Amino acid sequence: MNKNLLLARSNIRKAKGQTVAIVVLVLLASIMMNLWLMLSMDYRKNFDRSHDKLNDGHVNLSAYVISNDFKNFISDTLKERTDITEFTVSDAFCALSSFKYNGGELSMLAVLLEKEDALSRSVGGFEITEDSDFKSGIYLPMLYGMGNNYAAGDTIKITFLGEESEYTVCGFFNSAMIGSHNCGMMAMLMTEDTFNEFSEKSCALNSAYVSARVNDISKCEDIGTEIKDAISKEYPDVVVTKNDYKLVTTSRYISQMICAGILSAMAFLVLLIGVVVIVSNIANYIRENMQNLGALKAVGYTSRQLISALLAQFAGISAIAAVIGTVLSYCVFPAVNEMMIAQTGIPYIIRFQPLPILFTVIFISGVVSAAVYFSAKKIKNIEPITAMRQGIATHNFKRNHVRLEKTSLSLNAALAMKTTLGGLKQNLIICVTMLVISLILVFSATSVRNTIVDIQPMIEMIAGEFADSAINVNLKKEDELISILREDSRVEKFYLFTSNNMEVQHVGGVSLFVAVTDDCSKMNNQSRAIEGRYPKYGNELAIAAKYANENGIKIGDEITLKVGNSNGKYIVSGFTQCSNYLGKDCIMTREGYEKISSLPNVTYYINLTDGTDIDDFNNGLSEQFGSDVNAVQNILLFIESTGKVYVLLMTFLVIAIVIISCIVIIFVMYLLVRTLLNGKMRDYGILKALGFTTGQLVLQTAISFMPSIIISVTVGIAVSMGIINPLMAVFLSGIGVVKGTFIVPADICIIAGIVLVLFAFGAACLMSLRVRKIAPRALLSGE
Amino acid sequence: MKEILLKTEGLSKSFSSGGALQHVLKNVDLELYKGDFTVIMGASGAGKSTLLYALSGMDTPSLGKITFSEKVISDFSSDGLAVFRREHCGFVFQQIYLIDSMSVFDNVMAAGLLLNRDKAALVKRAKELFAAVDISEETQQKFPTQISGGEAQRAGIVRALINTPEILFADEPTGALNSQTGMDVLNTLTEFNERGQSVVMVTHDMRSARRGNRILYLKDGSILGECDLGKYRPDDSERHKKLSTFLSEMGW
Repeated sequence: MNKNLLLARSNIRKAKGQTVAIVVLVLLASIMMNLWLMLSMDYRKNFDRSHDKLNDGHVNLSAYVISNDFKNFISDTLKERTDITEFTVSDAFCALSSFKYNGGELSMLAVLLEKEDALSRSVGGFEITEDSDFKSGIYLPMLYGMGNNYAAGDTIKITFLGEESEYTVCGFFNSAMIGSHNCGMMAMLMTEDTFNEFSEKSCALNSAYVSARVNDISKCEDIGTEIKDAISKEYPDVVVTKNDYKLVTTSRYISQMICAGILSAMAFLVLLIGVVVIVSNIANYIRENMQNLGALKAVGYTSRQLISALLAQFAGISAIAAVIGTVLSYCVFPAVNEMMIAQTGIPYIIRFQPLPILFTVIFISGVVSAAVYFSAKKIKNIEPITAMRQGIATHNFKRNHVRLEKTSLSLNAALAMKTTLGGLKQNLIICVTMLVISLILVFSATSVRNTIVDIQPMIEMIAGEFADSAINVNLKKEDELISILREDSRVEKFYLFTSNNMEVQHVGGVSLFVAVTDDCSKMNNQSRAIEGRYPKYGNELAIAAKYANENGIKIGDEITLKVGNSNGKYIVSGFTQCSNYLGKDCIMTREGYEKISSLPNVTYYINLTDGTDIDDFNNGLSEQFGSDVNAVQNILLFIESTGKVYVLLMTFLVIAIVIISCIVIIFVMYLLVRTLLNGKMRDYGILKALGFTTGQLVLQTAISFMPSIIISVTVGIAVSMGIINPLMAVFLSGIGVVKGTFIVPADICIIAGIVLVLFAFGAACLMSLRVRKIAPRALLSGE
Repeated sequence: MKEILLKTEGLSKSFSSGGALQHVLKNVDLELYKGDFTVIMGASGAGKSTLLYALSGMDTPSLGKITFSEKVISDFSSDGLAVFRREHCGFVFQQIYLIDSMSVFDNVMAAGLLLNRDKAALVKRAKELFAAVDISEETQQKFPTQISGGEAQRAGIVRALINTPEILFADEPTGALNSQTGMDVLNTLTEFNERGQSVVMVTHDMRSARRGNRILYLKDGSILGECDLGKYRPDDSERHKKLSTFLSEMGW
């Protein structure tokens, strides 16, 4: 065997525990890194594969109520455009709909298509993923067939424009662009008889569903807006809803993005801790083996060979651990995949991905090798004779840090302090580890507080506005609705908040989703305005901060908006954030919006007094307004159902983070205690001979870590609490978040910090039990 | 009638070596008396250090019992033995074993504070002891690597005596020192013994052994014989002759 490998093998044999600890740290880092890369590199491509397989559109529009020649118009319009490569226009019904999901209630714009017609679409196709023998009923997106929701043969109650009907679930389908409630509109396929039966209902609004493929995907947003504008110009009464490739890919992959982001951060942090530990171990190795290294040099080994042996040892075990980690990541991936699919709604078949494995193994081995090389370079300075005679002094006791005759500390604490103040490397490793883990804990505590304990802050940031109930009625019934709401003692507050995928065109910019309200001060989510204020007057608007930042728009600027041929000028009164529209939205007063357009219908958000049954209240309103109600929604139930995915994801991640943190602490403490005891074997032997008990020495050892643990955890928790929202904003910037508005739970963070300190102390005590093995008699001279 | 400090009955110690039992101490019956300067001599491998480990509670015997003030310390747990050592014993090692990361003074204080909670009284005693062994205040604040071997061993003696132990165990205390510094250390031990300190010293050096008033000779794990040299006097030429004769009889 090669000499260097022999040396490396000998070193590994002598330090089995240390090897195991480093292997575990690298293993954790590589598992998370490979998962992150698999999620980042292939997961979204899976959407493209599905999109391509179904030849789905890059721009999709649903339009209702259409006139007879609309289909000809839209076909001609699309044919004239050179940027559209192909398209399909289908007859459909569009309706605001709601149904039970995940224990809550979902509400979205449903696009109802006849099944066979849908399956034969050349662009924007559908794929039946689960079929049954039921010949009459409805097919749902496959997302709703997951978990404990619906199965083929179940009966589903769906409310279309306030009219509830029951359908048999015949099966499930896949659609890339309208296969989930996260797409702006969602398809439901009906068997022919059900479709025909539905067409007789009053809620069946004659509509069209258009799917178009473009030759430049990067322009799909603008193309969609231009087509929509063209429709609005020709058919001002037609209500058009659109989505595009960019919007759908982002909104369907929020949890994938969050999960990948957390995994990458954790992977790098654990790797950082691993590297710090390896560097420290090499420094200790050189110190402890100075004479051996001198002897090896004396017999002819070169510095290069000795460094190569260390490289082979650490880089070798790191590479092996990284390979094993990537293999293990495939064992964890199914659980992660299941959670992701619950949000994306697109099946993902796990497959072997060599690139992430290669990157993980090469990156980790490279980082470790660089760290080993730079820390092992000290070997070059070892002179054989000097090293063999006495070693090179690595400690220079020039300062007596804690004078025992003067200190007010107890003896054990004072001796521990001496160890603490004399161990710079030990303190550095602890500080790096604890700062990283404190940040991770604050992130976990914040996630727990804002999703698991109470999801409202998360919903506020993602969904924008919320209330107990929302009702959408035709414009002609607005006064009656207001009058009823005013007189109802169960109603605490109500306000206009209409946003049903309405858009306005920013002249010189892109199309923006718009929410229209009569009084912004009544809105429940006041934190959505992150800078400036909501609009008060007809000439003001609040615009998404992300869009404003990207386009150099400042508060006080005047911008022009238009709908169809009408346009108006507005002063920007403030910036908002809401990830629902990926940072492309605005809020206007009713007076302001009506300068350029009119509301097709109105949605009122309602806060109810405590104890009011929201469903009873909603049913009452539905009965009173009959066919004039387009949608009634129990928003609390909606939040519950959509939030479940995030709660599940965050619960999984927080549990994983806590377990990983515990493992990291245990192994870091193991390495630190081992290093400390190796260095203090003689001192502890002397102290034992003088009468120190094992318990006292264990306590001394553990206490010696505590100052740096307590200081770094305190600083780490405090700093992390301060930076967690800006960090989250960076983290979620892809979905339009500019300013983190999560509640940072000081109480949970402080408790987590205390638990972290106690856990680290416990781990240090446990690892310090090795002191038992130190026997005082070894100090006495041999016979 | 001398007061018995420590007593062994049937003390045996065996080690397993390569599957075979090696009996290092065999049925040793011994009494150590208060105020004595007991010297344990013997050839290499005779069991001197093993006997010292056992007597001082650094190790437990395989068989037999060791009694100190009517307490059977051979039955103590390792922590019980640690408490016994801190309360009743002082140690001077051949390799000195001061802790390098602590100043000389702190080395003494670390041992003292283990037992003595009155810090002021402890500091006073430490200073008296340092004065007695002629270590200056400046040296006291130095680190062990900054002082000479003789100074370090004298500091080791101060550490051993800081808790006013009933027995001072010394294991080859001059073994690592040159002739003159070794002599200084022996003088120090003798002075403390003259003040009533009981000392048990292991040595194979005749010059050191002369300081004891009682010489035990160990051979093959058993006490072969003992010799009473009486009170030490530097100018006592008969003492040396008596010791030489004894050692000759023992086969030294």
